[in-house]
Formats: sequence, structure tokens, C-alpha cells
Amino acid sequence: MVLTQKLHEAFKGTVERMTGPRTVSAFKEKGVLSVSEFILAGDNLVSKCPTWSWESGDPSKRKPYLPPEKQFLITRNVPCLRRAASVEEEYEAAGGEILLDNEDNDGWLATHGKPKENKGDEDDNVPSMEALDISSKTRIHSIPSYFGGDEEEDIPDMADFEDSDNLVETDSATLQSTYLVAHEPDDDNILRTRTYDVSITYDKYYQTPRVWLTGYDESRMLLQPELVLEDVSQDHARKTVTIEDHPHLHGKHASVHPCRHGAVMKKIIDVLMSRGVEPEVDK
Amino acid sequence: MAEQDGGGSILQFARFNSSVDEGFWHRLSSLKLNKLGIDDSPIPITGFYAPCSHSHVSNHLTLLSESLPTDDNEQSSTQTTARGNRNRCSVPGTLYNTNTVEAYNGLDKKSLLKQEAKKIWDDIHSERAVEESALLSRFLLISFADLKKWSFHYWFAFPALVLAPPATLGELKPASQWFTLQEAESISAACNDWRNSSTTADVPFFLICIDSNSNATIRHLRDWEVCQSDGQKVLFGFYDPCHLPTTPGWPLRNFLALIYSKWSLERIHFFCYRENRGFADLGLSLVGEALITAPSEWRDHDSIPNAVGWELNNDGKPISRCISLAKSMDPTSLAISAA
Repeated sequence: MVLTQKLHEAFKGTVERMTGPRTVSAFKEKGVLSVSEFILAGDNLVSKCPTWSWESGDPSKRKPYLPPEKQFLITRNVPCLRRAASVEEEYEAAGGEILLDNEDNDGWLATHGKPKENKGDEDDNVPSMEALDISSKTRIHSIPSYFGGDEEEDIPDMADFEDSDNLVETDSATLQSTYLVAHEPDDDNILRTRTYDVSITYDKYYQTPRVWLTGYDESRMLLQPELVLEDVSQDHARKTVTIEDHPHLHGKHASVHPCRHGAVMKKIIDVLMSRGVEPEVDK
Repeated sequence: MAEQDGGGSILQFARFNSSVDEGFWHRLSSLKLNKLGIDDSPIPITGFYAPCSHSHVSNHLTLLSESLPTDDNEQSSTQTTARGNRNRCSVPGTLYNTNTVEAYNGLDKKSLLKQEAKKIWDDIHSERAVEESALLSRFLLISFADLKKWSFHYWFAFPALVLAPPATLGELKPASQWFTLQEAESISAACNDWRNSSTTADVPFFLICIDSNSNATIRHLRDWEVCQSDGQKVLFGFYDPCHLPTTPGWPLRNFLALIYSKWSLERIHFFCYRENRGFADLGLSLVGEALITAPSEWRDHDSIPNAVGWELNNDGKPISRCISLAKSMDPTSLAISAA
């Protein structure tokens, strides 16, 4: 399965090199975005929701068909707070989104949270980016195998350091975190919240935006991408949501696979047009 | 914070925390292998932060691959794109990357912190910090990059000059309760303009001047004298990365030191600027009154105040952190995952 994925990546890479980027709009017909439409939609996202910004990323990974300063979109430090149940209730309440039901269970609407991000790129509900509505059935796990496993043995002088430096203990003006937890039990959950960096790249092969997630634990240490999948509905983990190399950032990141994006966008567009609304890429 | 509002309680500050993007370690590795070699002299780096933008989580001082110079010399282009980004206020820092774990453990952390604190103190006295206010949040990073195991040991410090005796808190409440409705509207609009202009979006310390007609303007710190002559209300504002409803964030510490040293004010109204969804939110933002009674020698340039600021781990312990990136760096494990 991994091999087929690799083969596909190689195939896709070759096609991307040989075909030019889309320049003619097929947004209404196919639900795909041309490069300039991606930029337009991104500019709109940045202006409506300023926690998003364009980034240029690693110079060696720059895509020539995108402007150097507008390679991809990112919003950092989005908390993952809400439970799956409350998210589902919200979807029920937001009648408009129900029409896009996912009969074959791999449409993007059912993946809590990321569909919203995805939609935010082209749709009006951009401000809903305030919290990432990923279902987190599982609470935070510590991952000693991945991080900091050997810190005790490698830093033998820590005790000396604590003694010799009068940093924390003697400074009455530093808020002690234990103090905080003790006095505000309600904040305890919040302090242990995972956060995500959400980024949107342009996928030249599928001609759609593509959403990526980078997870962090409560002390803002990088989460293994596999752990990110725990925050994704199990119907979608490893199917719609896969772990791959980010086109602009280092390392493996979880991503909503774009293969169905065009088709789903097309559905939305059809609904809009049937209501007499003219869809535009920056709405 | 939990104490009474009636004054007398010690003004406490919530710590600044770090967040390091994987790209930072990748670039550090390539810098080390391709350019630095065994040269372990301090490297100037750039951290990024932004005001708190969500009522549930604080923002961090973030290091990205752009925080480091590149191994070739085309740095100027990345520098220009980094300016004016509202989600990325640049903060200068110093990286001490050692060649061995022994050297890492042997670093004199106390004197390194003191050294950085002295730079802040000097900038306060030379008034460079008035012109270039991000210097107040200067930070320090020590690291050991184990390129054989692809693991990185590191520890941040956010030096804060300690007022002795500590400042006390006169009053602290949400900005929306402090100001009149008209003032609040004017301040929100002024803050949003400040944040949307590419020339001021990444200037993290500023003045809020409110005239007798409740009109607010935001000014650079260097305009303090101008604000005085008009008999306006003046508040000292800063981008607050902290989300806590009853505690101002770390950058206020050195800001108070600057205000006290430069203008000899003992009663300071500060404004913790916070946002929601990228727009000014005066319900989350705080206004407070700090009362400073430091001894007069504190204003003397030659007596450098104590500094604190080594980052704590999740359990509140001062301890070095370690991240292993073998999964994304080790050719063997990359080959296995690709097979």
C-alpha cells in the first residue's frame, strides 16, 4: 500500500512537471481552482481572517508557478478544544451544510474541522477558523519514545542548576503554573489542549487547495503525525486523511487528500447555482 | 491574580513559552554541516510572536527555518518578506549551539542569562529600545545538535529584569470594562489600523493616547513627550501573547523596566493587547495599573538588575528539552518508510 502511494507520488510528480499550471478557470464546471484563483481565494482568506497569512516557506521548496511570497497559507496555534458531539450538533444546526451529505462516507464534510478549513478557503464562513473543531476523543498522550526520552541521563547537572540559579523559585513576580492550576481548575483542561498549525497549499495535480495539519502537545512539542490521526474521525484516518511530506515545510504532516475535493466543490457549486447564486472563488 | 483587587498584591506575569518548527532544526543541521563546522560562536537568530488570538491558548515565541541564516548568502530576500507580517513580529535572539553534549551541559547558564539581560539593560539606557521596541523581548537559546542521532537538546530563556521590590498591582480588568464605550470603539479601530499597516503591524510596544473627546490614537514610544503636552490619557500598550484573563504576559516585565528607567514613572497604566480571530478584542485585552517603588539606584545604568527567565517544562521544572527527528532526518528510517 505504501509502495503504491510512492508510485503514485512519482507519477504525480512527473505529470506536474510536464503539464503547465491551470490558467483557465474551471471552478464552476469542475470545482477546481486555477493558480490565480487560489491566490485570489487566499488573499480573501487573509483579509477576512487575519490569523491566516501567506508564507514563502523554504526557498529550496518554492513552486515556480506561485509568487515567492505567496507559496502557501498558514494559521498557527489553533486550539483543539471541542468534543466530537458538540461539533456534530453544530453541523446539524448549520442547516446549509447538511445538503452536502456524504453518501459514500468519504466526502469531506464528515471529517470534523478540516472540512471547515477547506471550505474556508473558498466559502464565506471564514471566521469559523477561531477553533479547530477536531474531534478529540482521546486525551493527550505523552510520547516518551519520540521526545525527550533521555533528558534525565543526558543532563546530569540539572539539580546543580536548580540549586545554583535562583531563577524561578525566588521570583515572586513570576506566575507559578501550579498556582494557576490550583486556583482555576477549569483552566486545567485548557492548559493541556493540543494545538495545531493548519496550512493550505496548492496541489497542482488535482488543481485544488490541500489542507495540512501539524499537531503539538500542550507544551507545544511536535506531535507525531500518527497521533494527529487520533484527532480525526476514524472513518477518515488513513483514507481521506493521510500522512505525507509537506510540499513547503519539513517533515511528515497529516493532510486531507485532495482527490475528492474537486468533486465535492462541484456539488457545492451546483447547489449554489441551482439557487441562483453565482459562485465566485473568493467567496 | 487570585488576590483582592484593592491593591497591594504583587504584579505577576505569565511566562513566555517557546515553539520550535521542525524546519528550524533542519536548517540548523544543514547550517552546521555545510557552513559552521565546529565554529560554535553565538548565532544571531530571529524569533516570531503575535498577540494572543484565542481566548483559550497563549501564543508562543516561534522559531521557524527562517529564524536562522541560510547556508548560502541569499538571506536578504527572506528578511524582506518577513517584515510587516502581522502574525510574525520579529524578536532578536542569540543561539549558542555547542559541539558536544558535555559542552552543552557545561554552559554557564546563569552568566549567559545575565549577558542577555545586560544587552536589554543597555538598550533601555541607550534608548535603542525606544526606537526598536522588540529588543525588549530579546531571548536566548542554547542547544546541542546530535547529528548522529538526529536529536536536539535545547533550552530557551526569556530574560526579564527583576524589579526589587516587585511592582504591585493597583487594578486589573478587561479593557472593555476600563474604557467608556466610545473610547473602546476608538481604541479597537486604532489598534486594527496599527495591526493592518505593514509599517506598524510588527511593532509590539506602543502608546495609546486618548484625548478629552474619547478619541484614541496609537503612537510610537518615542512620541511619549508629545502625548504629555496635550494633557491626554496615556497607556502603555504591548502585544500580549498570554490568554489568561487575570495575568499580563511576560513582555510587560521589561517594558515596565524601560518605562520606569526612562520616564521615572511610578504609576503606570498598561494595556495588554489581545485579539480574537485576528481583530482587536477589548474583552480579552486587559488594562492594569502597576505601582513601582524600586530603589533609586535601579535607574542607574551601572547596577544591572537581576534577571530570570529560563523556560520551564510542563511540570513547572527548569529542565532542558529534547526532540528527536530521526523519523524525518535519518536516511535509514526514511528508506524504511519509503520501502
